[in-house]
Amino acid sequence: MSAPALRAAVAAVAVAFAAPFAYLAVRNAAEPGELWAAVSSARALEAVGRSLLLGTCVAAAAAFVGSACAWAVVRTDVPGRRLWRVLLPLPLVIPSFIGAFALIAAFARGGLLDRLIGVHGLPVSGFDGAFLVLTALTYPYVYLPVEARLRRLPRSLEEASRLLGRRGAATFRLIVLPQLRGAILAGTLLVFLYTISDFGAVQLLRFDTLTRSIYANRLLDQPLSLALSLVLGLIALVVVAGERAFRGRAHVESTRGAEPLVVELGKLRWAVAALLSLPVLIGLVAPTAALTYWAVRGRGLDLADLIGPAVSTAAVSVAAALVSLVVVLPVAYLTVRHRSRVGELANAVVVAGFALPGLAVALALVYWTIDAPQPLASAYQTLPLLVFAYVVHFGAQGLRTAQVAVAGIPASLEEAARGLGAGRRRRWLRVELPLATPALLAGAGLVLLSTMKELPVTLLLAPAGFETLATKVWVATEDAFFAEASAAALLLIALSALLTWLLVLRMEAAP
Amino acid sequence: MTRQVTLRVLILGVFAGVLSTGCGGDRDALTIYSGRSENLIGPLLEQFAEETDIAIDVRYGDSTDLALLLAEEGERTPADVFLSQSPGTVGFLAERDLLAPLGEETLEAVPSQFESADGLWVGVSARRRVLVYNSDDVSPDELPRSVFELTAAEYRGRVGVAPSNASFQDFVSVMRQAEGDERTAAWLRGLAENDAQIYANNNAIVEAVSRGEIPFGLVNHYYNERFLDEDPDLPSRNHVFPDGDVGSIPLVTTVSVLAGSGRSEEARRFVEFLLTPEAQRFYSEETFEYPLAPGVEPAARLEPLAEDVELGYDIERLGAELESTARLIADSGLEE
Repeated sequence: MSAPALRAAVAAVAVAFAAPFAYLAVRNAAEPGELWAAVSSARALEAVGRSLLLGTCVAAAAAFVGSACAWAVVRTDVPGRRLWRVLLPLPLVIPSFIGAFALIAAFARGGLLDRLIGVHGLPVSGFDGAFLVLTALTYPYVYLPVEARLRRLPRSLEEASRLLGRRGAATFRLIVLPQLRGAILAGTLLVFLYTISDFGAVQLLRFDTLTRSIYANRLLDQPLSLALSLVLGLIALVVVAGERAFRGRAHVESTRGAEPLVVELGKLRWAVAALLSLPVLIGLVAPTAALTYWAVRGRGLDLADLIGPAVSTAAVSVAAALVSLVVVLPVAYLTVRHRSRVGELANAVVVAGFALPGLAVALALVYWTIDAPQPLASAYQTLPLLVFAYVVHFGAQGLRTAQVAVAGIPASLEEAARGLGAGRRRRWLRVELPLATPALLAGAGLVLLSTMKELPVTLLLAPAGFETLATKVWVATEDAFFAEASAAALLLIALSALLTWLLVLRMEAAP
Repeated sequence: MTRQVTLRVLILGVFAGVLSTGCGGDRDALTIYSGRSENLIGPLLEQFAEETDIAIDVRYGDSTDLALLLAEEGERTPADVFLSQSPGTVGFLAERDLLAPLGEETLEAVPSQFESADGLWVGVSARRRVLVYNSDDVSPDELPRSVFELTAAEYRGRVGVAPSNASFQDFVSVMRQAEGDERTAAWLRGLAENDAQIYANNNAIVEAVSRGEIPFGLVNHYYNERFLDEDPDLPSRNHVFPDGDVGSIPLVTTVSVLAGSGRSEEARRFVEFLLTPEAQRFYSEETFEYPLAPGVEPAARLEPLAEDVELGYDIERLGAELESTARLIADSGLEE
């Protein structure tokens, strides 16, 4: 795409992604006094402080856990690498309200583990509980892009470093880490935004963040709730701009086909495997075990009821993932290859949109479509609008990983291809796209998994009668039909594992 | 390679199938926004559709979120009927003139204390406020006779409440009407000072009580009945405060017709159907809620509501009082 065409495309994307922010601005403009009163009250400021504290701590912990796991899986001979590659991303698919509820039931005093072996040690309330649960559910945001990056890291630099006499640790710090920086930052930012926008976990674990005030007041004091939502959006915009400045322009290179250098762990192999199992145990096995217990305990489950929702879930999630990729790719190109205001603006609204409460995104799209001229108005509560809403809400996850992918395409190859007379289209299809594929797929995988568990947008914007597994889980939980909820949740996890393997891992592995 | 192609064709096929079914629901169908979950209304919807040949589109969701959706949609809403889990959300819509009055005949099916005075909504079923307790830790003769006893020293740190939950807020609104603002405020402060434990919702409280984390919790009766249905060995039990104590008043779930409905005739037929003895029996036979139509008894394991139960409060005002109730709760220190 030529630069002006690229700019025009990106401008269109920016306008679409600005819809929720514009809605919050319009609704708050009606009562500007409320906005000021909300942001200046001590109560709101304390809640903002708690959100930022939780977001920062969870982001830091997830950055460490996600990067360490990715390194162990790609660069060591830890046993069971193929299995870890499927299991490690999966906690991402567990909705936080399910994860929190199951972890309380599993680990709290008198919980399943306590009854089974008399152990209850994990914190399951307040800051500690929220920190633990959200870290265990979000580290895959870092794991996936870092793993993709590690697999495309050229071994030549490291080999040179070692030949020059640097030890493993120094090589890692000086050569590997700078090459991973972009991917780690990308994932960490997503974890931060996820955490400050989470409601399910903080509500059940009793930690009073900004989102709790937004939800608690949404009916009682709607202007306050809208003001606080705007505050959350503004915080996200500031953080995204900050990260953009901090990201820097480290030179990264991608290669493909080469097997990554593998560190032989020797006797430590099983110790590392044990460490890898920790996040999987807390983020996946414990919730799954609790769900299985409830599902088995219940009687008369009708699994046939879940087939339709499972197919719908897979279809809308794949659609959202693919559309996200197509939509964010121009933004990734513009922001990585050119300096452009439009690009910066698009980057900010796309990424910050992830931090808005799903309810605000849904209501914004109601606001913009219900009174709109045709044919937009007739899109109301149809699947195209639903997929659009998912893309607006989760596009950030595709964009940040796409930026990492585009940044990893070496300029030298592009020049070589040009020298050989390849046209723009051909260069892109034959040279750039294949190199960027793993990271792009990782991004699509993130959108896919998030969409599969999405709730508020689906409940309000899906066509009437359109059910996903997540809505099935939620509707059943709400009225304490735990066996039913658990069966649907388990199917959701299994389906996510299957789709992750089919669409991401298998294709990534293809030469 | 061929396997990959087959897979892709399969995925595309599924896509096309789902997309074609999902583009625009049946525009002629009666559209229901239901804050009541499928388990508590689905079979009735099917029965109605079958008996009347009226097609139904239903959107399940949280009553509060659906109320916000209806407010955002305004006149253009595709919805005809709103089913709510609590009167509070209905009050929010009534204030915005989004509800249409129901006919006299409809309202007569239910005792008048279970409907709004201007006929904007009518009760379908009821849930009762109770004290859920752990029968391993507490013997039945130790149980309090009034909700007001829970501020005493012996309950310090032992009672769970969900102050941000709609059912607790509705309950506090009722208490204000029955006992006055002063006594209610004092009770809420007493709970806060007595180190009442805060939970997210009814489910979380019953789960904590059944696990032995706390011995008591203030909830709607319905949830523990469901927990026991899933696992009869749980030690959690419901205690109804005796002698018409305000701690065990019933709260109703409601149905209303929207002002923007283009199918108000069908909508009214649906409301009438919900109140027939036949539909009401669903609540006594299949769920653990209280039916409201006269002559239909609740499930045998529930303590029946007193004959001609005197509510002692004006249900209508619950919605209007929601905001001041929330302020009262916040000022007590129970909720941030």
